[in-house]
Formats: sequence, C-alpha cells, structure tokens
Amino acid sequence: MKQILVIVVLLFSVLINAQNKDAFLEANDFYNNGEYQEAIARYEAILNTQTHSPELYFNLANSYYKLNQIAASIYFYERALQLSPDDIDILNNYSFAQNMTIDAIEELPEIGFTRVLKTLVNTFTVDSWAKLSVCCVILFVILFLSYYFSFSTSKKRASFVLSFITLILAIVFLSFAFQKHAINKKNNPAIVFAQESDVKSDPNLKSETAFQLHEGTKVQVLETYNDSWTKIKIANGKNGWINSKDIRLLNDF
Amino acid sequence: MKALTYISIVLFTTISSFSSAQVTFEAKVSKQKLGVNERLRVDFEMNKDGDNFNPPSFESFTVVGGPSQSISNSWINGVKSFSKTYSYFLAPKKRGNFTIGQATIEIDGETFKTLPVTVTVTAAVDKPKDPNDPDYIVNQNIHLVAEVSKTNPYLNEAITVVYKLFVSENTGVSNWRELDIPRYNDFWSQNIDIKGIKIQNGTYKGEDYRYVVLRKTVLYPQKSGLLEIEPLTLDITVDVPTNRRDIFGGRLMQSVHRTVAAGKRTINVKPLPEAGKPINFSGAVGDFDFNVTTSKTTLRATEALEAKVQVSGNGNLKLFKLPVLTLPSALEVYEPEHNEKISVSLRGMSGQSSDAYTIVPSYQGKYPIPSITFSYFSLKEKRYKTLSSGELVVDVTEGPVNNNSQAVSSTKQNILSTGSQFASFKTKTNFLNTKRTMFFNSLSFWMLLLVPFLAIPVAVILRRKQEMRRGDTVGNRIRTGNKLARKYLREAKKTLGSKESFYNALERALHNYLKSKLNIETSDFSKEKIQELLQTKSAKDAAISQFIELLTNCEMARYAPFSNVEMEQDYNKASNVISLIDRQIK
Repeated sequence: MKQILVIVVLLFSVLINAQNKDAFLEANDFYNNGEYQEAIARYEAILNTQTHSPELYFNLANSYYKLNQIAASIYFYERALQLSPDDIDILNNYSFAQNMTIDAIEELPEIGFTRVLKTLVNTFTVDSWAKLSVCCVILFVILFLSYYFSFSTSKKRASFVLSFITLILAIVFLSFAFQKHAINKKNNPAIVFAQESDVKSDPNLKSETAFQLHEGTKVQVLETYNDSWTKIKIANGKNGWINSKDIRLLNDF
Repeated sequence: MKALTYISIVLFTTISSFSSAQVTFEAKVSKQKLGVNERLRVDFEMNKDGDNFNPPSFESFTVVGGPSQSISNSWINGVKSFSKTYSYFLAPKKRGNFTIGQATIEIDGETFKTLPVTVTVTAAVDKPKDPNDPDYIVNQNIHLVAEVSKTNPYLNEAITVVYKLFVSENTGVSNWRELDIPRYNDFWSQNIDIKGIKIQNGTYKGEDYRYVVLRKTVLYPQKSGLLEIEPLTLDITVDVPTNRRDIFGGRLMQSVHRTVAAGKRTINVKPLPEAGKPINFSGAVGDFDFNVTTSKTTLRATEALEAKVQVSGNGNLKLFKLPVLTLPSALEVYEPEHNEKISVSLRGMSGQSSDAYTIVPSYQGKYPIPSITFSYFSLKEKRYKTLSSGELVVDVTEGPVNNNSQAVSSTKQNILSTGSQFASFKTKTNFLNTKRTMFFNSLSFWMLLLVPFLAIPVAVILRRKQEMRRGDTVGNRIRTGNKLARKYLREAKKTLGSKESFYNALERALHNYLKSKLNIETSDFSKEKIQELLQTKSAKDAAISQFIELLTNCEMARYAPFSNVEMEQDYNKASNVISLIDRQIK
C-alpha cells in the first residue's frame, strides 16, 4: 500500500514538473510577444505549484519591469538572486530595476575586522560550510590515524602537522556555518510595495513620521507588532515601524 | 349773475398779472430735519416788492434772529430780476413735527401766501451744526468709503477693498494727499494701479454724488478670525462755498484743508473646514488645474530633460508651494526653477505658477516619474479637491549601465563589465522544490561530523593490544603454550578424579602433543627417542626430564595407586611442561 502511494506521488510530481516546463515555455512565448500580463499569470501559476527556479524569478521580474511595476520587479530579482547570487544577467537587470526606485539610501559601511569576517562568512552557504567542516573532520581522522600508524619520523611529523591543520580548519568552518546560520536567521529582507509609505516612530498611526519610503526599497524586518505593524531597518541604520501591508517579505516562500 | 361777474374779474386779473410778471412768494427752510439744539433758518423770498409782510407765528420756535431783509436786483441781458428775502433764525422749543405756517404779503394790491412747511425736530445732536462751518460741510458733503467685496471670506479667499471718495454736487475737491496708507496686517495685499482718475456719478445713501475711485486693493486673509482693515486717511483740499459773492453774484469758494478717513472695517475670516482636508494640502484656495509634463520621454543618457510641475487657474497662486516632484534616485536632478505668470485683478490672482526641474539621466533604463497630487480648496464647491498627475515614464535608450547595484547579500558588490543591455528572458530552467531541506543542523550532519572521531580511540585501542602482544614474547609463548596444553589436556581435565581414564587421557594428550610438534609416529614411541628428539629441538634438560617423568607416571599409574591430589599435581605439571617445551623448541 505504502509503496503504491509513493509511486503515485512520484508520478504526480513528475507530471507536475512536465506541466510546469510547458507552462514556462508558453509564458516565455507570451513574454516574447510583449503580452507581459499573460506571461506573469503563467509564471505565477508555476510558483503556486511550490516549485521555483532562478530563471523563473528572473523572467517574472523582467515582465514586471516591462510593465513598470517597480516593487514587484525588484522583489523577484531579489528572489532570483537568492537562488543564484552570481548570475550576471540577473545582476544586470536588477540594476536596471533599481534605477526606477526613488529612495537613495546610503549604506552604512562596516569597518575593519567585522567586514572581513562577514565577507568571508558570506562566500558560501550554510550547507557548504557544513559539508566543508565534515570533509575536514574526516580528513583529520585519516591523517591522525596515518600519523599514529606510520613508523618513519618524517611521515609521522608531516601527517601530524596536517591533521592538526585540518582539525583547526574543521572548527573554523563549523563556526562559519553557525555564523552564517545566525546571519541568515537575522536576515529577513522585505520590499516596500506601497508607492509611498510613512515609517512611524511608534506602531500606531498617531505617532510621528520618522521618514518616508517609496516603492521598491529593500528593508530588513526586525520584529512585528499585532501583525499590522512591522519594525524595519533600512541600509543606513535608521529604523521605524511600517504598516505590514506596505511590505512583502522575501524569505516567505 | 353776480357770481359770473366775480369769476370773470378774477380770471381777467390773473391773466393780466401773469402777462405782466409772474409773482412768486415762497418759504424755504435750511433743513427739514434738525436736532433740538440746532437752529433753523427760514427764508421768505419773493420776486416783486410788496408791502404788509406778515410772518407766520412761530409757536413752537423762538425767534433768535431776524427778521432781516435783503434785496437784490440784477440785470442779465436786459432782463431785470429782483428778489427780496425776509430771513428768520429759529430755535426749536421741543421735539416733534412742527408746521411753519403761512406768511402773507401784498404785492400790487394782491395778497400772496406761502405754503406751510413741515419740519422735524429730533433729539439733540452731538454738535450743533453750523451750516457754514467747513468741517460741517466736509462732513455732510464728502465721504471716503472703503467698499469690501466680502466681509466673511474663507481663509486665503480673495477679497477686494475699493476706496471711493464721494463728493456732493455743491462742493468741490481740488486736491488730495494720502496721509496714512493702510497696512494690511494678516493679509497678503496687492494694489491695483488706477490709470487716471475718472469722475463717475453714483449715489451714496440715496443721494446723488460724484465719486472717484482712489485705490483698489486685493487682499488674501492669512489668518482666520476677526481681522481689521486699517482706515485710509486723506488730506483733501475742499472748496467750500461762502456767503460772500463776487461782483457777478457767484458765490466765492474758500479752500479748506481737511482730513477725512474711511472707517475701520472688520472682516470675519472663516477657517477652511477641517473635514476632508487632504494630508498634502498646502493652502491653495481657488480654482486650479494641475499637470506635470516632461519636455521629452525618450532620450539618451547625459542629455537634459525638463520636467515641469504647473498649477494654473484662479486663486492664491503666489501663496502656496507647489508639490515637489519625487524622482528615482538614479537621476541627477537640479534645483527647480520657479516661474510665475500671475496677473492680479479685482477677481484675485490668476495665471500660472510652475517649477521646472532639469533632469540629467546618467544611465540607461526606464525611469518612472511617480504621480504626484495637488490639493486645493474649491470656493465654488466649498470642498477640497485633489488633482493627480499621471505617471510618466522617461526612457533612456542609450548610455552606460548603472553598475552600483546592491546584490542580495552584503557581499562584495559585483561589478558588471558586460551586458550594457537589459537582458532578455531565460529560455531554460530546472525547477526546484521551494521547500528546502537543510543539511546543516540535521541528524546526518552531526553524525558525519562526530562519528569519524570515534574511529580514533577505536583504532588506538586495537593498536595498543596488538602491540602489547607483539612486544611481550614470553607472555605470548605462555599464552600459546597454555592454549596448546588446554587443547590437549581438555579430555584429561574432564576425567580428573578417576585414576585410570585420567592417566590414559594424559598419556594420549602428551603423545598427541609430541606427534603434532615433533612429527613422531606412534610406533617409535620410546622415552629415549623422545629425549633425543626434544634435545635436537633444543628443549632444555629440565623440561625434558619433567616430560619423561610425566610419561613414566602415566605408565606407573596403571599399577600403583594415585590420590586425587597427585592427579591434580600431574595435570598442572603437564600443562606447565607443554607450555615450557612449546616455548623452548624451535
């Protein structure tokens, strides 16, 4: 019984995948003919089947860009970059979309050691760091045993030094994995969808407006209050409360 | 018959008298209405001299002066005119309506009567007015009036103040000078220039006057509540008629300087309603049109573009700020240039006010100019209206690509060297499930991370044991010997206790051991042979002798009695010997 179920599910997923491929090609045709609204509808339909890909997000963002919908376009470029951060096409078009945004926020520079550490930690994903640390541990064990079992002094010395290095590397990579995990946990970006939104100093309408944000600006979500207010932080370090309806979370798949 | 003759006589006399000269005899009063503390002058005037002038009885008045007679004769173009006047100055005794009765006079034998005149005497006036006082004349005949178009306008609604100088027909103003120009505090004001002075006819309080418009001002109240318009004060030169006459009989005029002021006016300014006030309302009141235009919509990078925010219509155009254009941050925008084409008339300000932004895009791409809104208070509809400009898109077709894009993470910003065009869609893809499983922190991750470490102690322990055995040769030998002995003596041990079977088993075990170790056939199993063989295998003599002794013991046990203790001893000895020999032989 269980096996049959598994087979059915598997077949079904294969079927959906094939359907999505067709829908993708169809949407691309619409895009190519300039019927961006139609293309968007089909790309979104694919997203609704719980599947995604950087190319899908990229094409979707392009369609929104063509329709001058700044926020949506930026939102999906960001999504595409989450999946494939180094794609030149995505980065290129993302810069086009960013030209359309209104807010110019100067990024708060990080200085010295923290910056170096952060860039280092950010070079790989959490899983890559985790895999690297596992590899290092295995390598360490092999090297340590070879130190233990080898007879000649030179061999012993070399393998001991190497094993020591790999152990340190394993620890470093593991800590990087934890660091990156913490960064990922803290990193909860969102895109402003409202054309203009007031950021308040307190989560109520009466409070003072700290600053204004416009469509397409990326913010970091810090916390929420009553679901209707979200505390956000922008790149220059300022923070405030924004109406939750005005933003859309990027990590929310 | 008698009546007919009377009528004919009367008709005849009247006709003859008309033909010769028309006689008039009238009573004139200086005013119809006067205060109880004022004086009245009554003139009885005739144009032909007569006799027996009989004044009426002035019952309700006291005669303060008169009667005085004056006679004037004049010849104009050969026509003689004559007038004789009896004047009385009267002071009223009390308030009320009084009738000055008829006066009679006989002219050419006929009696003429005046018509009775009714005069109203009112309560005392502040100041007994002397009709010949220039101040009095100015007060009575010259009025400076401020006409306000609306006394309860909205905040920022245009009102006009027109200053008019009314001059009655019988006085003249030869000159004026503004002494005090009113300052309109809490108003925005603008004077409308008047070119030349036109004398117009109009009425003031129901009487005919001539007037000139001195000054027109448009005011925009800037504060709600009761606001005062300061009076305008003029120094005027008035020609006042005097009683003296020139040789031609015309009255001599006297020039008098007098100061006149238009009264203070109070204006009640209504605040704009709070209900429905848009957030971006900047105080515009009137009737406006709003639009945002760009000089071009497609251009190349580094070319200049002008975006114009314009408000046109009627209203307080100079008194509000235009909405600010919000532009994408990637565009280079210069300070806007403000332009006004506003004319001010009695209807208020009209024209247009605009801000021109010069924009220079440095990178190619599309730049939307978001819709901006402009709110104003419509005076016609008495409510707020909001106009919105449509969204415009500026398309920059050629130029470098903006490359300081921020990547998703805060990693190094990628510098794009290739691809100066907006990249097209991607044709191929591989779909992934949106639900990702993390390797990090999963069970398999921790297993993979920690299990290899267990390999180290396991390997070390195994190695240790191996080495110990290899290093300690004696122990090894003992262990192997013991093992052999145990192997061969297993049967003997079982039968420990029963003498015969035990020794049989022991002998067999010893023989078996020798057989396997020394390759001895059962047939030549003699003690000498065994000794010899063992010696050649370099076993020591003590061990050999013990072995031989054991064999003899086995043989002897068949015939001699052996206790259990001895059996035990022999068993131990056997196992010792076996292991000893096993160690010694090579």
